[in-house]
Amino acid sequence: MTAVGSPADSACRKNVQRTGILRQAWINRSDYLYVLPSIGVMLVVIAYPIYYTIELSFFNTPPSLQLRDKIFVGLDNYGLILQSNVFWRVTLNTIIWTVASTFFAFFLGLGAALALHREFFGRGVLRAILIIPWVISAVAASYIWKWIYHSDFGVIGAVLVGLGLADRPPNFIDNVNTVLPSLIVVNVWREFPFAMIMLMAGLQTVPDQLLRAATVDGAGPWQRFWHVTFPHLKGVSTVTILLLAVANFNSFIIPWIMTGGGPSNASHIWITHIYELAFGRQRWGVASAYSVLLFLIVMTFGYFYVRALSGSERKARG
Amino acid sequence: MTCIALGRAIGRGVSAAAITASLISAPAFGAPVDLNKWSPEYVRSIAGTEEFDTAADCGKVTPLDYKGRLTFWYQGVFEGDPDLLRQYYKDFFEAFRKTYPNIELEEQALTYNDLLDKFRTALLGNAGPMVVRLQILGGVEFASKGYLQELKPEDVGYSTDDFWPGAMKSDIWEGKTYGIPTNNETMAFIWNADVFKRAGLDPEKAPATWDDVVKYSKQIHDKLGIAGYGLVARKNAGNTPYRFMPQLWGYGGGVFDEATESPTYKQVELNSPASKQALQASYDMYVRDKSVPVSALTNQQADNQPLFLAGQLGMMISHPSDYNVMLDLQKKATGGDQAKAQTVIDNMRYGLIPTGPDGRRAVVFGGSNIHILKPEYVDGGKVDEAAAKALICFWASPEWSLKMAYAGSNPGNLNGFKTKWMKERLDNIKFLDVTTSMLPYGVPFPALPETPEIMNIVIPDMLQNALTGAMTVDEAAEDAAKKVEEIMGGGKL
Repeated sequence: MTAVGSPADSACRKNVQRTGILRQAWINRSDYLYVLPSIGVMLVVIAYPIYYTIELSFFNTPPSLQLRDKIFVGLDNYGLILQSNVFWRVTLNTIIWTVASTFFAFFLGLGAALALHREFFGRGVLRAILIIPWVISAVAASYIWKWIYHSDFGVIGAVLVGLGLADRPPNFIDNVNTVLPSLIVVNVWREFPFAMIMLMAGLQTVPDQLLRAATVDGAGPWQRFWHVTFPHLKGVSTVTILLLAVANFNSFIIPWIMTGGGPSNASHIWITHIYELAFGRQRWGVASAYSVLLFLIVMTFGYFYVRALSGSERKARG
Repeated sequence: MTCIALGRAIGRGVSAAAITASLISAPAFGAPVDLNKWSPEYVRSIAGTEEFDTAADCGKVTPLDYKGRLTFWYQGVFEGDPDLLRQYYKDFFEAFRKTYPNIELEEQALTYNDLLDKFRTALLGNAGPMVVRLQILGGVEFASKGYLQELKPEDVGYSTDDFWPGAMKSDIWEGKTYGIPTNNETMAFIWNADVFKRAGLDPEKAPATWDDVVKYSKQIHDKLGIAGYGLVARKNAGNTPYRFMPQLWGYGGGVFDEATESPTYKQVELNSPASKQALQASYDMYVRDKSVPVSALTNQQADNQPLFLAGQLGMMISHPSDYNVMLDLQKKATGGDQAKAQTVIDNMRYGLIPTGPDGRRAVVFGGSNIHILKPEYVDGGKVDEAAAKALICFWASPEWSLKMAYAGSNPGNLNGFKTKWMKERLDNIKFLDVTTSMLPYGVPFPALPETPEIMNIVIPDMLQNALTGAMTVDEAAEDAAKKVEEIMGGGKL
């Protein structure tokens, strides 16, 4: 066996890179045999649905016809989507939802991670409490928040009216202007513990001696954070942001349960709109075209995610 | 492409209309059943006049010792239903298993709002149940797609004349019958007499017209600071069309011409002046007067019930079952809330749904139908037809179609009105005669495959667009009419 990292290993790798992909596969055929069952399963549960969704995106599926009687329309569904006013409304909602949820969940998580990184009495209990939003069911959380926000007898409204701070309960989710921010608050509340956990793990990698050395050199808390802690969190932050962004882009439960995308499409994001088109209106073709576009966008996120991970690994190997 | 689809849609619409026209006769949609005679007095006169033996009747369709297996999905009870109904559902399945001990029944209850989505998805994977009980607006969609087997009352030992013609219409596609009505209903208007009195209104008189509803709602809100009318405008919720369509028809509007004696479903009427007037009335209550629950856009009827019981809502369109729901909720209340709820129950009044400006009164002719699927769309690829017919005969029997509709609806099988349980029901369920009096005003939803999308998506969208200010009333009505035209044209968004 050749030692990894030795000159002989390097030469071998260069040699392999020069050969074609098929030749590499042939050389490593026994390895592929081991992973063949997994590849088979992935082809059935991932590749086929992707293929079928792409195929379906070229068909019209009116409610009076079975799916097998679908009508070929070429790229019409894509054209319809781009010409639709709802598409642009939903896209803007999706961008606001994804960017705002990711931004606030990350920075709230970062703040919580920094606060909990220091030793203090009750830290374990507080950490457990802060994780609660992340571990409870999103469905249950959505119903609870719907009740909290309720425009007629919600908890917030009752408190505000009871304290004399408002004449009538504020309208959170029955108003086109406030519904999306209200849902983002719920989403951030549910997601920030995930960012907190990831970043707390990242904080463990910051060497104490560096922080102490910075203190000796006269660095203040902000300078220590900015010049020592933050650079060490760069890798984990990138991964956390990408994971949050992908999760938010595909987030379904909170908007669907709390508002169903309403009122007047003001809280529809891509994923809820796709669901409504497919299952509520049976526009399987248009919904598939939407899904293909969504897939391309998520794959772009995925590309950067893999790059970020590879970068972290390379850095770790030195 | 659109032309072909449009042609097909029009063709189907015309054939549906022809069938409809053939089934309809003046004054409502009534041959051979004359709905005009279905007054509270008539219902009382026939109640308890006949005995029926369900096991013996169904034994003639499927022998009682028949051995088989059946999968069944149905629109079951939900949070807004009374406990009494839950018990009857439990009793039904116990009685069926006792009568047919060798039929292995796998039943699954789904709520009104989930059933269509789940059923459609299952059918795409050929994983449907053998028998399904769907809301009245669902049957034609699945019949038109070829998922359902032909099924008429005669196949399970009954006569087509035993069922409401309007209900049978919802089972017919291109001249063939694909299901049997299990229950049918018309709702009524409910109000809190105490709230009316405190607001300076006549406590014993329902608003006569929809314009009065707008006025009363404002008066209640202005004087008492509570919501006047229980508006519902949630999307993807059956409650919304059931509450808005009577208003739309009352003003003389409609999606098509479904409220006329012989509908053709050819012309979209959502943007007619009368339809806009109906939408304007909702706008006036929600936006101008702020006299209805703010949460109307995200809530459904089940959310209005506690508001009503708490004395925070003056009036709403309602099932007769709401009286029992209020009793159930009152039992669950504690302390001072219980007394408060009792006051509301004592002050509950039922009346006819208000009319439009020209005296037109209308209500949705609702209910459910039961269907058998074709084997190729069923999980396992087989349908046990004998077992399926046994269950359908049982549910559609005079006894069980009455019991399963005991608190909230009416039996699909008209012979149910003649049973002793109907007599008992008339004594136990308050205000039942009022909802029965609404039957002659019942308007069935358009018998078209596109109806679920129109009723569950387009109508609520129109309301939400107008009520949120996203569009003016005119724009919202025009937008909805355009969407219906596109849907009938075969697709688009």
